[in-house]
Amino acid sequence: MRQDIKSTEETAKLIEAGNILLLAGDEGALRKLPKGKWIGGTIPYFISNAQGGQVSREKVFVTDITGVVKSIEIIQRDANSLAKVYSEGPENGFSFVVIPALSKAHLAFALNAPNYKDFGVRPLIGWISGVHLDDLGKVTPKVFNGLTGEALEQEALVLQASLLEGKVAEVGIVNLFEQGGGDILTFPADGFSSKEVMVNGEKKNFAAYIVKNRLDTKLPLVADYYGALVNISFQGIDEAEGDVKFYAPVFTGIRYKHAKPVADYAAAFKACLDNQCNLSEDRIVFSCNCILNYLYSELEGKKTTPFVGPITFGEIAYQLLNQTLVYLEVHDM
Amino acid sequence: MDIPSKSKKQWSDIVTGKKTYQLKFLAAKILLGRLVHSVHDNPTQENINSCIDQVYNLYAKNLGSPSAQEDLNTIFG
Repeated sequence: MRQDIKSTEETAKLIEAGNILLLAGDEGALRKLPKGKWIGGTIPYFISNAQGGQVSREKVFVTDITGVVKSIEIIQRDANSLAKVYSEGPENGFSFVVIPALSKAHLAFALNAPNYKDFGVRPLIGWISGVHLDDLGKVTPKVFNGLTGEALEQEALVLQASLLEGKVAEVGIVNLFEQGGGDILTFPADGFSSKEVMVNGEKKNFAAYIVKNRLDTKLPLVADYYGALVNISFQGIDEAEGDVKFYAPVFTGIRYKHAKPVADYAAAFKACLDNQCNLSEDRIVFSCNCILNYLYSELEGKKTTPFVGPITFGEIAYQLLNQTLVYLEVHDM
Repeated sequence: MDIPSKSKKQWSDIVTGKKTYQLKFLAAKILLGRLVHSVHDNPTQENINSCIDQVYNLYAKNLGSPSAQEDLNTIFG
């Protein structure tokens, strides 16, 4: 098992043995760990094979990549230097990025990643770190550099992993949401919020449109990127200001539609895997899922086999995604 | 596996949206989602060539990826 929940003592033993680890845990748990070859992000929500969705401030979610990786580098990137994330990725490997929610690096990556040099030329996967929902506004999300022991609030950490000979990395997503049959929505500017929306080409106030049409804001906007469905989740509506806020930016030139409802996430998830995906559990090295899927679909105690991992404030599969499970596979060539 | 030359018509057909393929390589799908819109809004030869460069470069640097290989077979046979 490469991905599992462990105590801080068990995790420390793996670190001291020299294993290469991708970690997720509450800040207090991560601070107990010794220096070593690991990076981590703060979050106390996880899904495991044994218990399904759960919250723990004491345990750490451990992804051990020792068995597939030849060497690693851990690099700190700020909002500007993060633009190198694709072009400096290892030739035969992948880059794993963790970014604190609401940090300068998070906002820069969300808005600008699609225009970074060499978009997508090397596999990029990762997540946005967060906090226990009781700590929102009280505690800042962080990322931890295991090599130095440093915790960062504004910068991203990138673990560049070169794979063993004969192996190749692939990034994938599982998105249960599909475009509904409603209006085509486009936006006049890139951003995390919008007052205006073009509804089938006609300019309207977006907040008023949502209220009038009783759109369920638990369901995301969905864009079709050449067959890849990419969600934008709603953060909130300010009816007085006429403003709508999102957890990821909308982009001009992209056509969005409000998603079809998903009645039972766990059942739909199983059906999706049975029908659409050709996945081998042995090849899945890392996966994570969205806190909104965890909350809205009530995943506490439920399983999403074969996927486990941290529950995150944003998912990264080449670019920032919302309400989506992302995963990394390593194939033998 | 070699990557077909940029002069092959299929590259132009993809970025102009003249032909649509069922692709598997996630990075290419996300990139093409933007490039096809870009060419639709600005169908100059210069922009088409720039978009072909981007998608060609993406596949050229991912020739080891099973999904990229499958896409190239889908597009070029």
